[in-house]
Parts: sequence; C-alpha cells; structure tokens
Amino acid sequence: MRAPIGLRISSKRRALGVSQAALARRAGISASYLNLIERNKRQVGGSLLIKLAQALELDIGELSGETEHRLIAEVEEALADPLLGNIGAPSAHDLVAQQPAAALAIARLHRAYLGAQADADDYSDRLRTDPLLAQLLHRVLSGITAVRSSAEILDDVADLDEAERRRFVQAIVRETRGLSEVARGLVGQFEVDAKARRLSPLRELDDLIFENDNYFPVLEEAAAELRLAIEAEGPFSEAGLTALLARRFGITVTRSASREVDAAGFPGQYHYDAGARTMWFQTSAIAATRQFQLTRLFAELVAAPTIERVVETPELTSDVSRRLAYRALGSYLTGAIVFPYERFLSDAEAANYDIEALQQAYGASFEQVAHRLVTLRRPGAVGVPFAFLRSDPAGRLTKHFPLPGLPLPSAGHACPLWAIYGAFRTPERTVRQVAQFPDGSRYLFVARAQSRRPASFADRAIHTSIMLACDILQADRTVYGAGLPLADPSLDMPVGPSCRLCPRRDCAERQEEALGPGGQHVAIRAPLVARSFDAGEGS
Amino acid sequence: MAVDVLIAEDEPSILESLDFILRRAGWSIASVTDGDAVMGMLRRSPPKVLVLDVMLPKRSGFDVLKQIRADDMLRDLPVLILTAKGQAKDRRTAEELGANGFVTKPYANTEVLDEVRRLIGLAGAA
Repeated sequence: MRAPIGLRISSKRRALGVSQAALARRAGISASYLNLIERNKRQVGGSLLIKLAQALELDIGELSGETEHRLIAEVEEALADPLLGNIGAPSAHDLVAQQPAAALAIARLHRAYLGAQADADDYSDRLRTDPLLAQLLHRVLSGITAVRSSAEILDDVADLDEAERRRFVQAIVRETRGLSEVARGLVGQFEVDAKARRLSPLRELDDLIFENDNYFPVLEEAAAELRLAIEAEGPFSEAGLTALLARRFGITVTRSASREVDAAGFPGQYHYDAGARTMWFQTSAIAATRQFQLTRLFAELVAAPTIERVVETPELTSDVSRRLAYRALGSYLTGAIVFPYERFLSDAEAANYDIEALQQAYGASFEQVAHRLVTLRRPGAVGVPFAFLRSDPAGRLTKHFPLPGLPLPSAGHACPLWAIYGAFRTPERTVRQVAQFPDGSRYLFVARAQSRRPASFADRAIHTSIMLACDILQADRTVYGAGLPLADPSLDMPVGPSCRLCPRRDCAERQEEALGPGGQHVAIRAPLVARSFDAGEGS
Repeated sequence: MAVDVLIAEDEPSILESLDFILRRAGWSIASVTDGDAVMGMLRRSPPKVLVLDVMLPKRSGFDVLKQIRADDMLRDLPVLILTAKGQAKDRRTAEELGANGFVTKPYANTEVLDEVRRLIGLAGAA
C-alpha cells in the first residue's frame, strides 16, 4: 500500500506552522492544488515533490516515507512466509502504523531467519547428520514459535494492559536477538574462521546502499579528482588508461582467448595479477568492459583508502560484508569516473534517459549506464529515481537496488510477468512495460536481455537480463514512456511482487501458493477431483 | 488448588505465552522446565492434561511419556506433545508411546487451545 504522501505534507506543514497558501507559494503552485494534494486527490512526484520537500525543509525520503515503505514491504514479506501459515495477522501497513517496534522486531527476525535458512539450505546434507546443527535449527524453530505466539497475543487480545503488552513486545525483541545469535552460530559451523563471517552480508550491503540513498558523496568527490588526474595525462579512453597504468604503475595489459581464473579461482573475462603487474582480458571482453575495468584498476590502486573509509562503518559487521561492500563501492567509484555526475545527469536529461543513446555517447554497456542512472541521487541534482534489477536465465535475481514503494523481493524470483523475464524472449532488444501492482501502484519497467559473448566455440555465452523501473509519475521524463498509454491503467500489465507475496487470485501464471497481506489464503491450481487436503491452510 | 494443565516447556518465552493463553481460557496452570521434574509434579498435584515439550533438558518428553504410560496412577493422563520436530517419524513415535495429541512448532495459539480443550473433555469423560 502506498503511504499517503498528502497526509505527510499536511502534517509536516502544520507542525511547522506554515499556512497552505504560504507553502503553495514557495512550491510555485496554487493553494487549491496543494489542498487537493494534501487530501490525496492529486498524485505528487518528481520535481514538485522535491520543491515541496525543500519548502518544508525536509529530506525527500522523509516526505515520501521511504523508511516506512521499506519496513512495510519487509513485514509484508515476513507475514507472507509460508512457515507462518494463515495466522490472520493484521496488514503490514497497520502493524507498522500501530506497533512500529513490534513491526521492526518482526522484520529483523525474518531477516535473521532468512539468512539462517539460506545457510541451512546450503548445508542441508550436513544438517541431517550433525546433532549440534540439528539442535541449532531446533532453537530457530523455538524462537519463531515464541515470536509467533507473542505476536498473536498482541494482535488478538484487545484488553491487554500496558505491562502485559510490554512483556510480549519484549519477548519478541528478546527472541529476535536470540535468533540472530543462533543464526550466527549456524553460520559459524561452516566457516573455517567463524569470526570472519556473520549473518546476511548481502543484506548488510543492501542496508548500507539504501541508507545512503545509493549516493556516496565521498566517492563522487574522489571520482571527480581521479577523472581529472586521468585526463591530465591524456584522453579518457582504453588506450589512455592503458598508457597511464603502464607509466604510473608499470602494469602491462594482455589479451588471450584462454580461460583463466582470478586470485580467488573465479573464472571471468578479466583479472589482475598484482605480482606480475599484469591486467589480463579474455579476447571476448568488449571495449566497454575493458575501459571500465582498467578504470577500476586505476581507482583501486589510487583511491583504496577512500573506499575503505566508506566500508569502515559499523553497519558492516563482518569481513565478508566489508569485502562485498568494497567490491560494490569500487564499482560505484568506477562508474562515477566513467560517467562524471553533472555531465552524465545533463546528458541523461537531454536524452530523456535513453540508455542506448548514453551507451553510444560514453562507449559503455547497457548495464554500466543503467547502474550509473540509479546513483543520480545528489540532493539538489536528482535524476529520475530508478530501481535496478539483474536476473539470470533461471529467473533468480542476482543484483538489485531498491526503489521506495516498489515491492522487490529481497531474494529469489520476482513475478514471472515482469519485463525482466520477458526480455529473455527478445535478446539484445530493449522492451518496456507499464506494470500495475495489486495495490494500484504503477511503474514503468524497461528491460534488456543480453549475452556475454563467448571467447571460442568451447566457451559458453552467459545470459543476463537488466531492468530499470521508475514510478509511472516519472515515466514521461524518459524516452521509454513515449507513446505508452500512461494515463490509462486499464492497459497495464497486472503484476505482483512474486507469487508468494501476490494476492491476485485470477493469475494463470501462479506457480506457488501465496498468502495475501491479511493472511488470506490463495490457492494454486486444484486437483481435478477435490481431496480433503484441498481446503486451505491448516487442513 | 487443583491444576487443570501442567506445562513442561524449557523455553521461557514459549512458556510465558502458553501460560498466558491457557490461563486466559480459564484453566489453572502449573509448569516445570525439565524432564526430571515432570513426574514429581504429576504425583504431587495431578493435572487434567499435560502439555509436554519433546526437547526438554535432563529427560526428553518422549522418555517422560513412556514413563507416564508405565505408571499405574498416571497411565490414563491425556498428554499433548509439543515439538519442533515435525517429521512423520516423530509423530509416529508419539502415537506409539500413547500421546493423545501432537502440535508442531511453530503453532498458532488456537491450535494449542483447541487441543487442550479437547483433551480436558477427554479427562472429564474418563
């Protein structure tokens, strides 16, 4: 459910003691239009939302309710977990509004549980034979039982007194903490150095990116300096970077068709051998990849302390998290060098965010351009807010940057109707789609499936699909909105977040049983002849 | 005061919520937190129903159940097994040992309430 932005604007305005007329004047709109916005009779987004946020001296995230959106999405996902069955929980929206502490505890618990579950899945064979691990798993189930039972009491018992309410909220918090410890214990069973790895490094990285709104000023500043340093010695190009790396660091760039692995044994199209001072590319690596990775090498050699400063944050609790973050922020820094902020934003606006046109202008790949577009979040110079997704041909999401309000599954698969999957049917062609979610929210999806070309007959092409998504209110700022019936929702593709989280009963694509936000049971295809167990959850 | 339901459960948060929901349903409750304490409590103050966790410290719930069914005084006591072990094998073990009900964790509170209500009915009919 979308947060009522109008109500937020109205309550913030009142809290500041600003009249409707005064705020309307500051935002450059009429008082009557502001009145409609505050009563949620008109949608607000894009530049007007930015103006209103500035006029109210608020962060745009605070106004659009990003944090709350995310918590609602996480709680919704937790409540829809098949493990909980049909408990008749209140909607995530109501829970977040009425019991924010309990909602946060449930979201954290579910994260911890998912992390533990993922690790448990990976090592299921060992789980079956190791009594200590079986005991840890038993503790996970016990913790979930306690949380579920306490949450039901909070939900079902209308006349709980304050002390009782506090007792059961504290039980949820206590069990959440206990589960985190158990999860860490589970992880520790499989690590050579148990202290080197903690729970959900990917989620920690997600949190870091989300909390920084996918914009890192320190890295942007460093990128601007590095770009100047590169251009001081020649044009920014593959040849220029190759010469610069040779001159400054004695590095040689080589290419061959062979199949090689990096220092960690990972096969890829490139790797750097620090001992031999050699950067190797497979012959199939395209120019955009070579330019990007040479830039990354230069950035990592020169600006490692800058990336490390960003990575040294308490939010990243393990070396695995920090390694993942270092890699991701290295990519961010590289993107910021290849696509300098002001120029790229200006070019993107001028090209109406035409990714193909930007590819040509910067000699870059579709994924590189799409990736950079989602980082255009500098306060005062914000681009169209996009979410980013990447999928493998099995449908598994391998990378994602969220967008507040857009319900992205945190792992696994999204809705099979999303353009990111349809794009695999028309490789190397950009496809677009107006998608409508069950709550009525609408997004423009732009997707393209592509292949990493093989180096030889024996080599395999690797296929991925990339998708950007933006709120429908921003769609007319992009070339991809042109000619689409943006004002006519009847022609939208009805989608959901994923089968498990989708309440659409009439969807022929459903592959998995789901629970709606209210715990409502949604059946998958029934047997031809009804059976006793075909009556729903709990039967 | 006579005890309606004895709970044998070692997880404090689960015990707390079970105690709350069963007491709220109008029954008098007593509790123990390990397997060794169950038999002593049953003899001192026999309840109408025993809610018995399987993974208890000192002595497992299955061991306790076996001992109950071998005891002339207690053999007819209705016992509801609570367990995080949901496999068919464990359910079969519970049935073979003479459990009257079986609830798998994580459960809904109503599942436990319904089972206890049913077993108290059995105790009344006996």
